Formats: sequence, structure tokens, C-alpha cells
Amino acid sequence: MSTEKLALTTNSGARKPASAGGAPSALAAELTRALGPRKVLSNLSERLNYRYDAIQFGATPLAVVLPESTGDVVTAVRAARAAGVPIVGRGAASGLSGGAAPTEPGLVISFTRMTRLTIHPERREAQAQAGVITLAVTDAARPHGLIYPPDPASFRTSTIGGNLAENAGGPMCFKYGVTGDYVRALSFVDADGEEHHVTRDAFDLAGLLIGSEGTLGLITEATLRLIPPAPHTRTLMAHFPEVGACAEAVSAAIAAGAVPSKLEFMDRACTNAVEDYLNLGLPRDAEAVLLVDTDGDDLDTVQDELQLVADACERAGGTVRRAATDAEGAALWRARRSVSPALGRIRPQRMNEDIVVPRSALPDVVREIRALGDASPFRLVQFGHIGDGNLHPNILFDPRHEDTHAVHDLAHDIALVALRHGGVLSGEHGIGSMKRDFMTDAVDPATLKALWNVKRALDPHLALNPGKILPAEGVEG
Amino acid sequence: MNNDIPVQTLGGQGEVMAHAVDACVHCGFCLPACPTYALLGDEMDSPRGRIVLMKEVLEGGLPLLDAAPHLDRCLGCQACVTACPSGVPYGELITAFRGWSEPQRQRSPLDRAKRAAILKVLPAPKVFSVAARLGQFVKPLAPALPAALRSPLDLLPESVPAMQPSAPFTPARGVRRGRVAFLVGCAQQALTPNFNAATLRVLSRNGIEVVIPDGQGCCGAAALHTGARDEALKLVRANLNAFNPDDFDAILSNAAGCGAGLKEYPMVLHGEPDEARAKAFAAKVMDISEYLGGLLAGGTLEPTLPASRPLKVAYHDACHLAHAQGVRAQPRDLLRAIPGVTVLEVPEGDLCCGSAGTYNLEQPELATQLGARKARNILSTTPDLIASGNIGCHTQIQSHVRRQGDRAPVMHTVEILDLAYRGEL
Repeated sequence: MSTEKLALTTNSGARKPASAGGAPSALAAELTRALGPRKVLSNLSERLNYRYDAIQFGATPLAVVLPESTGDVVTAVRAARAAGVPIVGRGAASGLSGGAAPTEPGLVISFTRMTRLTIHPERREAQAQAGVITLAVTDAARPHGLIYPPDPASFRTSTIGGNLAENAGGPMCFKYGVTGDYVRALSFVDADGEEHHVTRDAFDLAGLLIGSEGTLGLITEATLRLIPPAPHTRTLMAHFPEVGACAEAVSAAIAAGAVPSKLEFMDRACTNAVEDYLNLGLPRDAEAVLLVDTDGDDLDTVQDELQLVADACERAGGTVRRAATDAEGAALWRARRSVSPALGRIRPQRMNEDIVVPRSALPDVVREIRALGDASPFRLVQFGHIGDGNLHPNILFDPRHEDTHAVHDLAHDIALVALRHGGVLSGEHGIGSMKRDFMTDAVDPATLKALWNVKRALDPHLALNPGKILPAEGVEG
Repeated sequence: MNNDIPVQTLGGQGEVMAHAVDACVHCGFCLPACPTYALLGDEMDSPRGRIVLMKEVLEGGLPLLDAAPHLDRCLGCQACVTACPSGVPYGELITAFRGWSEPQRQRSPLDRAKRAAILKVLPAPKVFSVAARLGQFVKPLAPALPAALRSPLDLLPESVPAMQPSAPFTPARGVRRGRVAFLVGCAQQALTPNFNAATLRVLSRNGIEVVIPDGQGCCGAAALHTGARDEALKLVRANLNAFNPDDFDAILSNAAGCGAGLKEYPMVLHGEPDEARAKAFAAKVMDISEYLGGLLAGGTLEPTLPASRPLKVAYHDACHLAHAQGVRAQPRDLLRAIPGVTVLEVPEGDLCCGSAGTYNLEQPELATQLGARKARNILSTTPDLIASGNIGCHTQIQSHVRRQGDRAPVMHTVEILDLAYRGEL
């Protein structure tokens, strides 16, 4: 556990490991020979920029490869294997679990130049290389009357490869499902540099790869399912004087039969942080804000469904405002997507959680977490995809003035609230290194052993993204 | 972003830099907004990557020389500032960093001479005008010249007009409704004197008297953004002395880059005795479209005559207007207020055209790629006219649009208004 606590504070340039600096490694030289200088980064100034994701700084890699084809990935993996160093895959590094931040110096393979994308409208499929930007899939599909629904908040930045590695979600996922639900087939390169093409048939190896954070193989390409977008969408914002009331409204609306396409929540601190950024006139004094979309083929049904939600909100003590235009709705959703990074306005660093709890437990869970925050010396804020019980409590802190061990303890307490109410640790961000410690609380020893057996079967040398997801063998909860 | 930047030894500019690094949560939302990331696809040439590099250099973990190529490629367009939810003042960071690092740079004599020449010629309209007209004669030889000389020649318009110095005072026509000071700018006096002439006519027409205070000079942005901080400070102080903000309703600029530069004065003088003066000055600075847009919103802008035929105007957002000053709606509203004008939105409109002050002289290859991309995007809307609010964008876009074989006129927003007032649009 101590290494993980340390990981929270390893983003200082002054404390870089000695192996990070100085002369280019033999690995970099070999890769440059094999792939040419354009695809290999070996200078310190270059490698330093491939050691972080959107939550954590890790170890500076020995070399970085920017492959342009699956063949380049194979070459890079074989060279790293020959050199005996670990391999970490990376997309846009907008992840929030530390998944792309290396735990030890090795090879980083950054997929941002593998951006080939083909739309097959007749099959309602997209063929996307790992580096394709998430939103680019929908942008390319829309002229054919199709969209790709998974919409993580970072979808302008994030890549399909990264989304697959973390099984990313997003507001649309409440009704439409997460990244993994849209995968028909995958190509990946294994730990020995062999290329494979897998579908969803037994064994569903594609399913195993999805969400495995590059610990079992490196996904190079995916066949994604596309759907026609709903012709009608309506948006509503409700605000509440107390966080629990907001959660009660959500449970009541869904119990009444509403199936919104998006159902999102942010607390007062979050609302104020995004309002500072966008100046939309959001209710700064509300303790909780709920954003809701309903969509469908029939406008009357869409509006009826929105009315069900509005009624539930008002009964729970909320104030309801409907978006008058599509542009107003779009602005509200932009606000929601900006919440997580906007929290940087409050404190320079954060510990981000991704718990999922049963919907019936939501009012208790948000209240208990609020109380934990109030009793702690830290700023604790909450937002998330409340429709499917997926919450992102964030502890905001300044490591220069505040105790990072206490941050970690509070994060642990929050995770335990979720587990006590029958929840899980991660809904969409992945476990990465940030929540790896808590796995022993969430998964029983026999299951952990089974997970380790899977890991060893696919990555016998333990070279793929070490130090992620699975706690070291023998560590007890 | 957690950092150990030694603020106490870096002074006021250190505070500016550390504050920006603090605010970054390295979320990566800036990546798709960045022109160099769009072209190069690597983290070092993204805003997030550059923030990390500057942090490392300031902390002493990375030699300046190693980081320099990536930092030099930054256009300073500030598209990342618009995209940043956590409010990182990236423009302030890169400007302060360049000011801090430039004295430590070891540049080749040729590079030094080129930079010195740019910073000498650019702020001196008379010298610029002579140089531009000399350039006209050499322009046909451009293909045979080395790239460093070719890039400025490529940007020269087909003909360089004679200088038309503006009168120090332009009275209001009709009832006087306001009084503003005007910064006449540098390059545009030599290359596009009609920008200023049109500005004065439109203001006067709206009952605004215009003073061009004596003693004003270059805004200092070019010097500041290339790290020549001492040079910039001289220009900043000269302008603070020339413009007394109490005498005017507003201090106007019609060049987005200059206006953004004027608004930066408080940051430049952060922690120094003139900071309060700079704040009072900057509080009055407005772009011409921001000021006229205010009149329009208040219902006091004189209506123009209609365009002689339906006109499709592609409006180009200058980075230093849209991103640096947040002025987007006003120029569009002003154009739409002309009967017969339709405003077209340019695809990838937030992406810089590659002009970026002296960028097309210092990084000609990337600037050319961005210029060509911008021209393609603009021409995809099949406009009758192209409007922008910045001299740098104007020359860059004109040059690339012509290279792609299109003859659509490229004009300043205020020139289009001026024509409409005169019934000549």
C-alpha cells in the first residue's frame, strides 16, 4: 500500500528516478534502427511527456514509440521483450485511473498516429484504429445517419483504444450502454508480439481485453457497432437544496417508468467550478443539480417521459427548468463534460473515484459521502452518472500543504461506503493504479487468484502495464 | 499540477508562471484545440505537454535547450485557453516563460540578426513600408531564395500601397456621442492603410470622436511573445504614458493581436510599480468590433445601407480576438446587421491560420501547413467575401486563398461596414 500512497505525489520533476534521465537507452537506439527516427522518441524532453495521464504522473519511459501501423506495434513489442522492459499502451492520456501512467521505466506505445477510420453504413459498423478520437467516429458516421453512442466527457480528446482499455462510459451509457457494448471485434498484439483478431464468440476474448487497461494485450483496431440517433431529444435541469433529495428524485423517476437517455448529477462545488468557466447562469446556490435528457422516435413520448422526471424532481423538493432550444441543451451538456477538469480551479490535485452503487442506495450513499467530506479537512465534491448509480466523488487537495496519506484514507473510506451498499469500485474509469489498493476489499481471494491466472496465461512475463488493476499476489485485504 | 517552481527566486513573473502550472489538471481537453498537436500528433507539441516541459525547466529537471524546440513551435494562439475547463492562463504562462528564458538562449548569429531585424522593422511603420515596397521588387525572385527570406515575401500583397498617416483627431459626425483613443498599429499602416481609414470613418459616422494620441507606438506584443521582455517593457511604458484612460470612453485597437497585447499590460507589469496604471489602462481597451458591437447591442449603431446583392461572408475568428479576448459574437452581429449579408461559419474555425505574429517568419513550414488548411476550410464555404479582424490573419489568409486560386476579397470587418455605410458593398 505504501507505494500507492507514494504514487499520489510522484509528479515532481525534482524527484525523478535516476534511470529516467540522461542518455538515450539501448532500447531507444534499437527501436530507432528498426522503425526510423520519426516513430521513436528518445530525448528526455520527449519521454517526460509520456509519463502521465489525466490523474497521475508515473515513471519516465526509456523510450516512446508512435506506431503508424500494427506492424510497428509488433516490432516495438518484440524489441521491448528482447530488452526485458515493461510495455505500457497509451491513447490520449485523458484517463482518470493512472492506467496509462507507467509504474516503472519501460516502453510506452502511444497510439495517437494510428487514426484510420472507415464507416460501413450498410453493416452499421465503424472500423477504427486505436488512435481514432472518440468523437471522430460519430462525426464520420453522422452523414450516414448513424452515431457511436459511448460519450466519455473527454470524447473530443480520448481515443478508441483508451476507451476500450478502460471500458469508458459517459452520460449516454445509462440508456445505450458502455464502450464494450459496441464492440463486435478487436485486433490486438499480445505480449510476445503476435497479432490476433477476435470476435465476441466463445471464448469472448474481446470481452476479456475490454477494460483490461493494456494488461493482457495491446488493442490496435476495433469493429464498432453504430446506431441511428433518436430523432427527438429534450433536456431538463433540476436543482435541489440537498444532495440526498436529488438522489431520491432519480430513484422515483426511474421507478415511475422513465428511461432517460442521460441522467447526471453535480453538487454545489462542481456547479460553481463549471459556472466559473462557462458563465451559463447555472444555479450557484443549489446543493445539487440534475441534468436529464429523454430521447426517442416519438416526440410526445419523449416529452411525457421528461414530464415524469420533472414531476419526480418537484416532489423531491427540486426546481425544474427545461432547455428551450437545442443550443441551450448543448450548453448544459458542455457544462457537465467540463466538471471534472474544472475542479482544478479549486485545488491543484485530486483523488477521483468511480464507484457504482445500486440506485435504491443512492440517497444514503451520497449523504454518507457528503458527511465523510464534511468531517474531513478536505474539499470533497460529488458528481456523476447518477442514473446508473455511477458516482465520482473527488477529494481536492494541495499536496504541498495537505496530508496525502489522509487523502488516501478518505478515498478508502468512500470506497468502503460503496462496497457496504453492495456497490463496486469502478464504473467506467478503470482501476489503474489509483484504486488498485482497494481491490482486496472488493474482490475475494479466490477470485483474485483466478484473475492472476488469466493475467499469467496472456502475459506470462508480466510485461504488460505492470502494477495496474491487480494488487500484488499475496496481498490480503 | 503539483510543482516545485521556485517562485521566490523568479519574482513577479514566477508567480504568473507558477499560478498557471498550479491550475493545470493535465486532463488533456486542450489537445484537440492545439494546431501543432493537430499537425504533429505528439504530446510535446500540445499545450499540456508544453506546460509539463516549462514546469520541468523551471524546476531545474530539464535543460532549457531540450524543451526549446517544442516551446518555440507554440503559436501562442490560446485556443487551449478556450478549451480549458480548469482556467489555466496558458497565454500568460508561455509569454512569461519566453521572457524569462530568452536571455538564456544561445542563438546562432544569423538567428539573432533575423529576430532583431523583425523586432526593429515590425514596430516601425515607415521602415516597414519601405521594406515592404523593396520586397515587391524581389518578390518575383522568391522561388529561388532560401526559405528564411521566402516566407516574408510570400506574404506580401500583390501591391503595397503608399502610407496614409491618420489625422490626430477625427471629429464626430452629427451629435457627439462618445470619445475614444485609437492605437494605429504597425504593419497595417504600411500594408493595409484602409483598415485605419475605414475605422475612423465608421466611428465618426456613429458620432464617436477619435483621438490618436501622440507618443503611442507598437503595442509590444511581438517583442513580448518572442521573449524580448526589455524591449516590450519600453513599448508598454511608452503607451501607458501616451494614453490617459481617464480622458476616453475606450481605447480602441482594430488589430486583434495588438488589442490582446494591450490587455496583457497588467500581467506584464505584475508585481511592479506600474501595475495599477496598467490595470486602469487595460480596463478601457476594446477591439473595434467589441466597441461597435456594444453600440449595436445598445441600439445606437447607425444602420447601414443594404448590400447591393446578397453576400455570403465567411467570418474568420482571429485567435487573438476569439481566444485571447473572447470576442466572437460582436463581429458576426455587426456583419449580420448589414441587410443582405449572410455570415458563414468556417469548419475548424477555432484552429489558428498559422500567422500568429512572427510565427510565419520563425516556423514557416508549420505556418504554411496551417495557412493552407485554413484557406481550404474557408473556401469550402464558397464565400463571396472573407472577413477577419487582424492584419496578420489578413495577409496569411489572402496569400493562401490566392495560392489556391480563389479571388474572393479578404477584408477587415470594419472595412465591410464602411463600404455598407457608403452604399458601396
